Amino acid sequence: MNATGIPLKEPAISAVAGDTEQLERAYIDASTRVPVLMFYTSAMAWLILGTLLAGFVSFKLHSPDLLSDISFLTWGRVRPAHMNVMVYGWASMAGMGTAIWLMARLCRTVLRYPLLLVAGACFWNLGVLLGVGGILLGDSTGYQWLEFPGYAAIILFVAYTLVASWAVLMFRYRRGEQIYITQWYLLGAFLWFPWLYAAGQLMLFVVPVQGVLQSAVGWWYANNLLFLWFGAIALGTAYYMIPKVIGRPVYSYHLATIGFWSYALFSSWTGMQRLVDGPFPAWMITASIAATILTMIPVATVGLNHHMTMQGYFPLMRYSPTLRFTVFGAMSYTVFSVVGVLISLRSVARYVNFTQASIAYSHLGLYAFFTMVIFGSMYYIVPRLVGREWRYASLIKLHFWASAYGIGLMTLMLLAGGFLQGSSMEDPSLAFSESVETVLPYLRGRSLAGLLLTASHFIFAYHFGLMLLGLGRTSTVPTFLNPVEAEASGGH
Amino acid sequence: MKGLAPLFLGIFGTFAFSWIGLTVVPNWQIGHLNPQADEEGTDIYPQPQSGMFERGAHVYAANGCIYCHSQQVRADYAAADIERKWGKRRSAPRDYIFEQPVFLGKMRVGQDIANIGARAPAEQASSAPAGAAAPAASPSGGTSPAASPAPQGGGSVAGSPAAKQAPNPSPAAQVGSPAPAAFPAAPGGSPAASPSSPAPKAPAAPAPKAPLSSPSPSAITNASPAASPSPAAGAPWPVQTAGEPPMYSAAWHHVHLYSPRSINVDSNMPSYRFLYEKRRIRDARSADALQLTGSDAPPEGWEIVPNFDAKCLVAYLMSLNQSHPLNEVRSVAGAPAAPAPAGSPPSPSPAPAK
Repeated sequence: MNATGIPLKEPAISAVAGDTEQLERAYIDASTRVPVLMFYTSAMAWLILGTLLAGFVSFKLHSPDLLSDISFLTWGRVRPAHMNVMVYGWASMAGMGTAIWLMARLCRTVLRYPLLLVAGACFWNLGVLLGVGGILLGDSTGYQWLEFPGYAAIILFVAYTLVASWAVLMFRYRRGEQIYITQWYLLGAFLWFPWLYAAGQLMLFVVPVQGVLQSAVGWWYANNLLFLWFGAIALGTAYYMIPKVIGRPVYSYHLATIGFWSYALFSSWTGMQRLVDGPFPAWMITASIAATILTMIPVATVGLNHHMTMQGYFPLMRYSPTLRFTVFGAMSYTVFSVVGVLISLRSVARYVNFTQASIAYSHLGLYAFFTMVIFGSMYYIVPRLVGREWRYASLIKLHFWASAYGIGLMTLMLLAGGFLQGSSMEDPSLAFSESVETVLPYLRGRSLAGLLLTASHFIFAYHFGLMLLGLGRTSTVPTFLNPVEAEASGGH
Repeated sequence: MKGLAPLFLGIFGTFAFSWIGLTVVPNWQIGHLNPQADEEGTDIYPQPQSGMFERGAHVYAANGCIYCHSQQVRADYAAADIERKWGKRRSAPRDYIFEQPVFLGKMRVGQDIANIGARAPAEQASSAPAGAAAPAASPSGGTSPAASPAPQGGGSVAGSPAAKQAPNPSPAAQVGSPAPAAFPAAPGGSPAASPSSPAPKAPAAPAPKAPLSSPSPSAITNASPAASPSPAAGAPWPVQTAGEPPMYSAAWHHVHLYSPRSINVDSNMPSYRFLYEKRRIRDARSADALQLTGSDAPPEGWEIVPNFDAKCLVAYLMSLNQSHPLNEVRSVAGAPAAPAPAGSPPSPSPAPAK
């Protein structure tokens, strides 16, 4: 397909079927243009806002007097605002954008009922806006991950219903009997989210459960949101992007099946390990710890599958932005799960419970894994929507390295800091304030990592803006990170 | 995969399995706990909160206290919480049955505050001993109105909480229905008015509808200017007691919220100045004006007073108290060093669970 001779190509089928297939794909891509760009653009706006809030949160944690006289800028409000902007604004919207595009592609049919999606995006934005405004004005519900006040939650749910009903409709119009593994994950995500959200809202606000069970429901919701919503979208995307970019089928479909069902079964049982040693029946926590350990099965199968698919093609990460981000994300999935197992073991949890380590865990899942995969997919999808290629390879590289180093540094800082914080806390001969003193240098390091991430997001937003304005390159060849000649002349 | 049906069923099945396993079954197991009472149906723990406490809990949620403070004490074999004197026993599900939302917390950048109310100086508020002995007199969770100036008949409430409250109001009124406890203490109600309201009758009268919860919270935090002969409760610094964690008075909480670093230079807690009001002193300094020193002190002729939200928040904080023994949880030796009144269970000693 491309004359440059780089083995970055469409899968083999396209070569056989030739122009019709390609034309059909272009047609489908064009039909997804408005809704997907709408989701992406909103997501980018939330990403920038969330990044600014994050910087504020991070600095205030070690410089508490910064702007503390203003009620809506107090740390305890900005922190949940940041979290919710990232979770519901950035991650959910970008994830839905990618999922919508993948759905249309994989159902091999033009996108129907775009108005459902447009309305969904509008309502979703409204919901997040009201929710974040509510939090800043002091209307938070007080449940972590579900801080949005009721009025925002209802709007989000309406918006979501529109998007999910679209997904189900699209499925009815699909062509071909085969359902690709990506569609399993996406269908799962589209169905799990509303059940999850409804269950969380109902059991906390409509018919509240008693006492500590609210916490159990809250963490059950949070972990399932992380796995069954964000994780499922990211894994589905990785299952599409990796084979697509390197032009090679998934190594083993059988492994993929095992991976999917074990993922659905085990990861949905996690969550209670975050409440370790809390006022709960021990079996609940033990069950979740066991489930967390069992998530190593999907990790192993998915990881092995991706690795075997990539085998021999790893050098392509030098060229393809999509591949580089996606593989980073897929590898982070393994790291995220391993860290999850380590910090949930009772002997370790004794130290890291109630410390920054749990923040590291959330960031590994939401950023190093999910967000990086989604960045990768956006590098693939956006050119196909706007008909332009990314303008600057250098900006993509900067974006990648700032993100990769940023999240790596942040995770290390929070994990190491968290462990030391917990060790000081566990030693009653030390004053409690020692544990805070211990972690402060690491929090400053985290702020530094945050600066890197901020830079990376601004670079990406700028680049994305250029694409939206039609200022990308007009070319039939995708933007590669390094020119092909470079390799010939001894790149290493 | 051939058809959609197995896929749908699998997706639904895995989700339902987890939902039932991690929320429905626990709800069946510990979702319908009742307060604990002794044989006579007195000495009930825990008791529902209302009024200022409820509003205080909302202030707590709104300002994100939960992101730095946990409210749970882990068992002695699991962690050093008890050695840190954050509590005398581990927290149990029953401690939280009336909380909505429940603030277990997942982070300790600040101390655990499950028992911060138990560490109030004895002359003030709930206190550990009273919690063990006779909180039953007041559904407001053992916050005795001792600090109240209580100018009228209510004066009788002051003094030793344990002694005065021992003669419980009719147990039936409490056990029988949670109604009196849930009495809405007019969150928005004028705090200044409460001390002179019918409140003082409460401890004496077993009237089921007695506005029990109303007077005490306001009494703690709101020394209404007119009615307060005594200076605001307690000193703005923790009272050190040998071998025990420091005691925190309402005044201490206010100063700490207003200017955390004036109390502990190393603290990285944000200050909550937006909950306080700076105003010119009119006739005399208000009784609830903060006792600030150094650079935090207002200029001559001015004073810093808490607004209603701040008072509610402190009332809520002072109500956090899990020192009452629970049958299912072992307390650390000599748990409640309480002047046990006649009616209360004689031995708070280890009562192994299960």
